[in-house]
Amino acid sequence: MDAATGTLKAPVLKKPGNSASRRLRNFKENAPFLLMILPAVVVVFLFCYLPIYGVLIAFQDFMPGDEILSENTIWVGFDNFTRFFNDPQFWPLMKNTFLICIFGFIIGFPLPILIALTLNALKSKKVGKSLQTIFTAPHFISLVVLVGMLQLFFGSDGLLASIAAHFGGSYKSLFLKDSAFRPLYILSSNWQDFGWSAIIYIAALSNVDPQQHEAAILDGASRFQRVIHVDLPAIMPMISVMLIMSIGGLMGVGYEKALLMQTDGNLHTSELVSTYVYKQGLTGIPDQAYAAAIGLFNSVINVVLLIIANTTSKKFSENSLW
Amino acid sequence: MSEVILKDLKKVYDNKVTAVHDVNLTIQDKEFIVLVGPSGCGKSTTLRMVAGLEEISDGELYIDGRLVNEVAPKDRDIAMVFQNYALYPHMTVYDNMAFALKLRKVKKADIDKKVREVAEILDITQYLKRKPKALSGGQRQRVAIGRAMVRDPKVFLMDEPLSNLDAKLRNQMRAEIIKLRSRINTTFMYVTHDQTEAMTLGDRIVIMKDGFVNQIGTPQEVFNRPVNLFVAGFIGMPVMNFFDGCKLLLENGKYFAEIRGVKFELDEFQQKALKQNGVKPCDIVAGIRPQHVTVGSGDLTATIEVSEMMGSEYNIHARSGEDEVVMLIPTVDLTTDVSIGRNIRFTTKPGLIQLFDKATGNNLIWYDADSAANNAPVCKRYD
Ligand SMILES: Nc1ncnc2c1ncn2[C@@H]1O[C@H](COP(=O)(O)OP(=O)(O)OP(=O)(O)O)[C@@H](O)[C@H]1O
Ligand SMILES: [Mg+2]
Repeated sequence: MDAATGTLKAPVLKKPGNSASRRLRNFKENAPFLLMILPAVVVVFLFCYLPIYGVLIAFQDFMPGDEILSENTIWVGFDNFTRFFNDPQFWPLMKNTFLICIFGFIIGFPLPILIALTLNALKSKKVGKSLQTIFTAPHFISLVVLVGMLQLFFGSDGLLASIAAHFGGSYKSLFLKDSAFRPLYILSSNWQDFGWSAIIYIAALSNVDPQQHEAAILDGASRFQRVIHVDLPAIMPMISVMLIMSIGGLMGVGYEKALLMQTDGNLHTSELVSTYVYKQGLTGIPDQAYAAAIGLFNSVINVVLLIIANTTSKKFSENSLW
Repeated sequence: MSEVILKDLKKVYDNKVTAVHDVNLTIQDKEFIVLVGPSGCGKSTTLRMVAGLEEISDGELYIDGRLVNEVAPKDRDIAMVFQNYALYPHMTVYDNMAFALKLRKVKKADIDKKVREVAEILDITQYLKRKPKALSGGQRQRVAIGRAMVRDPKVFLMDEPLSNLDAKLRNQMRAEIIKLRSRINTTFMYVTHDQTEAMTLGDRIVIMKDGFVNQIGTPQEVFNRPVNLFVAGFIGMPVMNFFDGCKLLLENGKYFAEIRGVKFELDEFQQKALKQNGVKPCDIVAGIRPQHVTVGSGDLTATIEVSEMMGSEYNIHARSGEDEVVMLIPTVDLTTDVSIGRNIRFTTKPGLIQLFDKATGNNLIWYDADSAANNAPVCKRYD
């Protein structure tokens, strides 16, 4: 207070250090964290970003052994893409891929949520933990072994075949039927992964405040009503994120399992975009430019789906990936 | 009528910890009972047994004359307010309050009427459409209380409902609870570790320690007639001064308390009570409340170490031998210099000295063996 005038003087703020020194200080403070994240950045750059350069061949007339960028490069624009759209395989591939993914999603998405809610609601924590372990175990079976198991059960010389033979019936291997491929593929995938996928929800459920359950008990909610009104809302953000991510990967089914299960008998349903890319790019007379174009097209679909899903989710709920 | 009776109520947890030992308590209809005690003494456990959230290991619990040991919480006609509010985060304030009624299949119009009525009382009508996330701590607490109120419970249980609020808001909400109580007029069971809350809210206070009830009584009783050292030390701010190594003397048919070599002739009531109890001369711990110390005269001496001017009173910490003595002296009564380092004389009225048996820690005058034997200790009555 200035006694003479009776006015308050503005407090003198310390001048902030010049921005260069501040930045240096900032950097020093963050250095350990930057250092920690460095390996991840390097790996992602090397294996995810650098290879994008190779996508260029989708727009070239590329022969194995060619350099990607040289004076001899023949650019063909979108020719490889139009070729794919006009490929008689285009619609069957799209349809097969879409159907296997959409059915896989319809069964595979809610199943882990149901399992997590059920395990969490079990009175005995011991039983819950044991079941969880049992449900998780199949995840660690390798694809090759899994398909081997499917053969043992459903193949031409498998269990079902022997049973049929025992009763004098005839049996055709499920691997030779177009109609059996999708159910076999989807059900076995879900059997393998539902326990694993449930873990993330179980973890989220363990964070639910027990007092909220107690409040609901006093409010008169039954066990089931508590699952609906306390547990489910608590994992809703997690469900949204998982939903967005699975929609984003909807058309991104891999080729390994389909290829392992593929026979001449089920080719009509088992040929997917990814197996087709594999065959075009790596077998016979490889046409890598064509394969790259198809792969890129598929990725673009996925990105578009992801953006749509995220935007929709942002609009209708508070949850989104970004 | 919604009387709550706890009869030899006991809780043993799975790990064999006995959290609550044979509590006996009869809560009258429309009474406000406060359970108070240090952390881990079993207050919450007792309350949760009444709520039905914790199984009763032994004993009987009656609500409104009905044995409810095996009755589900929702059918006990109780409501509970939790420390961290425990509101449903995805529901609006309105839905939070309506939830219990919806589950009971009450008609929509009735729910609406009730929720709005309660919201009006608690002054949260303007927040009904908000989610709990968008409310302040005090507002959330109101909603939590409202959620309990809409059900018109016979008994209202509250477990440290104010401890998540800052000091100012806590005072404010405490006043609101007092007001609320006069409006809804039902039985309350309230847990706190804050003795101010206990003293201001409770009709009667239950003081617990290590799973045992130490005293049940009105705020005046537990303050003026503590049955043992623990209650005396727990209730009252600042804490009562205890003088160890004192003696109770009996000379020519008169009882004296000897504190630091100074003899105090006890007053008429104390004489009568001690005589009635047949107390023999013994080693005692003498207790004097900081409010009951007078400075400037008397034969006890001390050196002032801290002297805080609190406005209407001085808060003085002085050293007397190996004891630290705290004194709370009204500024208007102060005639001596109480600056730091001064040697002062102090004394008290003999009638205000609390006398505790050194061997048992029990108050020689107020400890009542009969009620203590029944695990429902109250202070002794004299007529
Ligand atoms: N679920 C439990 N299992 C085992 N022991 C428990 C359990 N809950 C509480 N206890 C023990 O029972 C005793 C009483 O606990 P309680 O929660 O009733 O204390 P409190 O008086 O409410 O304390 P605070 O003021 O800290 O809330 C404590 O010793 C505690 O460790
Ligand atoms: Mg507690």
